[in-house]
Amino acid sequence: MRNHAIANHAIATHAHRRRLTAGRVWHDVSRHLFDRFLLLPIGAAIALVWANTGPESYFTFAHMLAFPVNEIGMALFFALITQEIVEAVMPGGALHSWRRWGLPLVAAAGGVAGSVSVYLAYVNLAYVTVLAQAWPIACAVDVAAAYYVLKTILPRSGALPFALVIGIATDIFGVFVVAPRHLVLATHAGGAALMMIAVALAAVMRAAGVRSFWAYLSICGTVSWFAFYLVGLHPAFALAPIVPFLRHEPRRLDLFADPPDDDATHHFEHEWNVLVQAILFLFGLVNAGVILRGYDTGTWAVLAAALVGRPIGMLAAVGLACAAGLHLPRRLGWRELVVVALTMSSGFTIALFFATGVVAPGPVQVEIKIGALATSVGALLALAAARLLGVRRVVR
Amino acid sequence: MRRVIITVLLWIVVAGRIEPAPQSTPLPIKADSVKFAVIGDSGTGDRAQYDVGRQMESAHAKFPFDLVIMLGDNMYGRQEPQDFVAKFEEPYKPLLSAGVTFYASLGNHDNQSNRFYQGFHMGGERYYTFARRGVRFFAFDTNLMDPKQVDWIEGALKQSQDDWKICYFHHPLYSDAGRHGSDVQLRVVLEPLLVKYGVNVVFAGHDHVYERLKPQKGIAYFVSGSGGQLRKGDVKPTAETAAYFDDDQSFMLVEVAGDDLFFEALSRTGRAVDSGVIRRQPSPGSTGGL
Repeated sequence: MRNHAIANHAIATHAHRRRLTAGRVWHDVSRHLFDRFLLLPIGAAIALVWANTGPESYFTFAHMLAFPVNEIGMALFFALITQEIVEAVMPGGALHSWRRWGLPLVAAAGGVAGSVSVYLAYVNLAYVTVLAQAWPIACAVDVAAAYYVLKTILPRSGALPFALVIGIATDIFGVFVVAPRHLVLATHAGGAALMMIAVALAAVMRAAGVRSFWAYLSICGTVSWFAFYLVGLHPAFALAPIVPFLRHEPRRLDLFADPPDDDATHHFEHEWNVLVQAILFLFGLVNAGVILRGYDTGTWAVLAAALVGRPIGMLAAVGLACAAGLHLPRRLGWRELVVVALTMSSGFTIALFFATGVVAPGPVQVEIKIGALATSVGALLALAAARLLGVRRVVR
Repeated sequence: MRRVIITVLLWIVVAGRIEPAPQSTPLPIKADSVKFAVIGDSGTGDRAQYDVGRQMESAHAKFPFDLVIMLGDNMYGRQEPQDFVAKFEEPYKPLLSAGVTFYASLGNHDNQSNRFYQGFHMGGERYYTFARRGVRFFAFDTNLMDPKQVDWIEGALKQSQDDWKICYFHHPLYSDAGRHGSDVQLRVVLEPLLVKYGVNVVFAGHDHVYERLKPQKGIAYFVSGSGGQLRKGDVKPTAETAAYFDDDQSFMLVEVAGDDLFFEALSRTGRAVDSGVIRRQPSPGSTGGL
């Protein structure tokens, strides 16, 4: 009897340990997935497989979810990005000093000029001028992907803030081009007035000391979303004018890094993290599904612009700026700069988003999207370049 | 002896590609019928396009069609004024001189500004509609299927009370060609509208072959994208394939007479490679057959 009880206890203990181990593994895996923004590429991978094996069901699904994900859900993602940028550039933030912005802005301008020139030259030489309207996609940089790649290659050099400014500046330029969608969406009267109401409401709430970000989101955010929609701007950017009114703390380390004095009032992004990651998963699932034989001129044009035009444009612009008297940041040499330039060539998430915003659904959008997905090889090129050039940490 | 065997085998292989054998249904050439020709992916400006143009002229002598629908990629490469001459006005000069009107839709190789070219009769629009004696044609721009266009398509189809509704555009909703194939993303958007509002026939190009598909949800689909371009041996026939021809350039002749639509596909050499008749289905969405 006693032996039996001991045996039962041993079994129970073993099962408990297994549950604990499984729980720990799940915790580690999920944390890794969330911390590295891996749900998006997972969603994209599922979409690619699904679209190429069951296109009818995939496109029916994607067509149904395209509006709620791209036009509503992504507003939370861009709010999060706005929050990160606002905190990084405020006094005490990692990117506050304008001295840090000079050379990266020049590099960003060079990258945009290089990528757009190559893109337009490619589509014009191929005489496929219907693709010309998609040029803003050449301005997309996946900042999150660039952040994690550089964090792996150059964790302690000046490359990280330098690259982040380039990525942010490039994407902000792209957003200003993509946001007006008169070709894609009908415009309506009354949007501008509604926009002013949304911003005024946010200002009043801030003055009244409202602390809950949910109040800003549900009231001002909703009004702003309708305003953007009516005025013909992409509603995914609707929360951007509202976010600056929320409470903030400077982000002293760098973008995406958790501040030590973390709290929900000042850092709503932690409350939203799971939600936004779920949205990014859906974004990948809804938008990355393309039938691979849909590749065409637009695919090669986007790839050439991102992998050739942008790095060359950036390096040329930095070269000219240095010749004119500007200096590279400390601990950032030309070898590191080449790696940074290649890291910036990945457009992935932002390029996919720009593709849905600037080109109407159809075969043209498909060939552009394939190019956007393929720019992910930029990250691999950056890793390869780091190894070849003997950039620190990769070479052991 | 070996040469004879090889020749016979080659003949069997070549003949076997044209499946099924051309039907013998001739075009009735009635006085009050609507007669038109169909070309797609034509604007290469090379010899093959001119050959097809000559066959169309020859066909026109016997079958006096007064309009041609163009399924996109009406111009490849450079698209300057002199190119409109070399890639459109010269190849079809006898037809244009005879008063035949061309109605174009835009392909991925066409400049969007080509909709303003007088010879394409698009009225400056990317998508438009026109009618001939109870037959209404709808030209779409499938390059960019923006919400405005989808709304327009639904409105135009809904409004039409014509006996026949024929849609044409560049990218095929159904195709068994290997290079591009069916555009399922477009199909998900367009097919429900085509079915709901009783479209009878759809013509598309993009794949550089000729293919007739078995009716899908009551709609007859044709791919006719070899009016100038050609992708030899590209069709991979499936259970949906009714007939195909991918050995040479081709074009189509169509005649709508009462409740029947007669069609014939001709090769660059003038050989009939497919023909048949489609009977109009009385109610929208009902399943039909060839």
